[in-house]
Amino acid sequence: MSLLYFDHAASAPRRPDVAEAMEPWLRGVVGNPSGGHRASRDARRAVEESREVIAEFVGADPSEVVFTAGGTESCHAAIVGAVARHRRDHERSTIVVSAVEHHAVLDAARWAERHWPGVTLRVVGVDHDGVVDLDALRELVDHDTAVVSVMTANNETGVRQPLDAVGAIARAEVLGGLWVHTDAVAAAPWLSLPVVTATCDLVSLCAHKLGGPVGAGALVLRRGAAIDPVVPGGGQEAGRRGGTVDVAAVVGFAAAARASARELAERVERVTALRDRLARGLADLPGCRVTAEGAARVAGTLHVTVEGVESDELLYVLDAAGLCASAGASCSSGATEASHVLAAMGVAPRRARGALRLSLGAETSGDEVGAAIRIVRESVARLAGTSDTATGRLSP
Amino acid sequence: MAMSGGVDSSVAALVLRDQGHEVTGATLRLWGGPSDSGCCSVADVDDARRVAQVLGVDHHVFNYADEFAERVIEPYAAEHARGRTPNPCIECNRHVKFDLLTARARRLGFDAVATGHHARVVERAGRRWLARGVDRAKDQSYVLGYLRAEQLDRLVLPIGEMTKDEVRDRARDAGLRTWSKPDSQDVCFIRGDHGRAEFLRERIDLTPATVVDRATGEVVGDVPAAELMTVGQRRGIAPDREGARRYVANVDLVARRVEVDRLAGVVTASIALHPHERSAVHEWPTTGSAVHVQTSAHGPLARARVDRDEVGPVLRLDAAIRPVAAGQTIVLYGDEDPDLVLAAAVVR
Repeated sequence: MSLLYFDHAASAPRRPDVAEAMEPWLRGVVGNPSGGHRASRDARRAVEESREVIAEFVGADPSEVVFTAGGTESCHAAIVGAVARHRRDHERSTIVVSAVEHHAVLDAARWAERHWPGVTLRVVGVDHDGVVDLDALRELVDHDTAVVSVMTANNETGVRQPLDAVGAIARAEVLGGLWVHTDAVAAAPWLSLPVVTATCDLVSLCAHKLGGPVGAGALVLRRGAAIDPVVPGGGQEAGRRGGTVDVAAVVGFAAAARASARELAERVERVTALRDRLARGLADLPGCRVTAEGAARVAGTLHVTVEGVESDELLYVLDAAGLCASAGASCSSGATEASHVLAAMGVAPRRARGALRLSLGAETSGDEVGAAIRIVRESVARLAGTSDTATGRLSP
Repeated sequence: MAMSGGVDSSVAALVLRDQGHEVTGATLRLWGGPSDSGCCSVADVDDARRVAQVLGVDHHVFNYADEFAERVIEPYAAEHARGRTPNPCIECNRHVKFDLLTARARRLGFDAVATGHHARVVERAGRRWLARGVDRAKDQSYVLGYLRAEQLDRLVLPIGEMTKDEVRDRARDAGLRTWSKPDSQDVCFIRGDHGRAEFLRERIDLTPATVVDRATGEVVGDVPAAELMTVGQRRGIAPDREGARRYVANVDLVARRVEVDRLAGVVTASIALHPHERSAVHEWPTTGSAVHVQTSAHGPLARARVDRDEVGPVLRLDAAIRPVAAGQTIVLYGDEDPDLVLAAAVVR
């Protein structure tokens, strides 16, 4: 059975040029980049070249790029690290996040609130499209705010956030000291980050959504934003993240970012057309609705809900037909999970239970989209309208 | 194949695969909150997944957390709030593992659902029945008592003919990482360090109550939560002056009173059953027929005759037994064949 891969938003296929770039750093002597001899110098050169690529990719100075082991670590380091720093220097201790943030951000903020006395978390609601409520944000940001975190685009729905307005509010309300963080992990394959994240002080990235390796990411600290390191030991990355830098991983990250940026405009145009064709192909299914259809969304994500169908069952049937997709939200056990994103958008639980995210990528073809439409249609038709009826009751 | 991540369902999957069946493993994610282990934790899902990998069968995780909350947790709290003593494991088997999973399996095109329970599906006179597992000490037919004939038609219990020792040996020989996992004993959503009282305190108002000796009318103590006292319970109740054990005879939430009595004062020879909350494998035993009854998961069998009053069925026991709290489940077994499950019902 051929594999129809429509889960790029979970992890994108590894690009061939990524593997090629990493290959020399995966065998034999690879120096520790912090060392002084020639093997270390070679490794360090590869790390710094990669840092320059990532800096350009996101729009920052190379000195502002801190390599991490992935997006979740970057988000955690941004939120927890920024709050730790603020508690020390400015005594600001409020975290403001949007209700639709990835758990990487939400759980980091909750962790800080739970572990540090005086730290409070304020959650900003979103509208029916999942776009952050700017009036509410304006109300919640004040002189005690240490960090505001609003993602660039949502990982489940693909909906983009108005980061320019978020940045303007944060800066207008509070002079100095407050940092704006954006989780750009889901947006990175589809948007020009130097443009869309320009107002943000902290930007979190990861490699594998770009077709790079898992286990590589970066936290960008612009305009002098400083964090206390979450992992201080060793003092690597200019004291901002301890631990030996994985040379192969950051080289692969850079190769993926370079390739992703090079073909961005062409890819966005092509994949947007495929995504819209996929949406049209599913639109007339009974109970099917495209999520946030009118909102600005990244090209690669089509999120729909099918009322009357359970995601668990739909994904099973799709998988059996060779179509890899996702419900959008899942827990570490692999089970689908009630989506906090859809709940924040006011999607009825009954509809949210039928969530399906089909995410496309650079190599997705028109034939694959046609096959996906056919399989989803057949699967929904098979499952729709059935329900659990057994009650097991007897009359008295 | 419902795989909890325990050794029984691991071996059940192994047995089915070796019999040549096309097996797909499914782990149900039930309880989203903290737990010691049981069938709910991510670690158990990981174990089930790894066993499926070793066996070379596909594995899926189904999220039934909402249904579990709605059909098991909420009734559990609500029943306690009414002064009754529910059995959440039975409710989970009945409503989640069987009703929902069986219906889903049918929709997804499976011929049958298998579980790792120690029980058997047997044929007697052309009809299918649920029967006790061969390992009497591990028998789980009681918690499956609500299954009906049409569910048995699509149910496979691959380890019902095996003893627990045989199950563990088989798992070890096959290199399954679950072979030495301890048996789950307790309710999966109640933690050892954060017991039933704490769990309920977060969900319902608990009622402090006075403990009164029913025979003498004397106040003999107090308890912080009458909802946690179960009719028939001895634990936590002081003996009387003569050293005779006392048992909970009645819990009155309105009067905030728990009545206790000596054994002779609490034993009962009849059990009134709920008119609706009951089911039969085939048909409900006719009034006047003799049965065996079991009142808890591993409790002793008692003989009884099926009767009824103006509300619903009543069991008349041959000999008096300790009372069974309202909300508990009674499973009825055959008179001549006490291995065969006939029916199950909630105590009124």
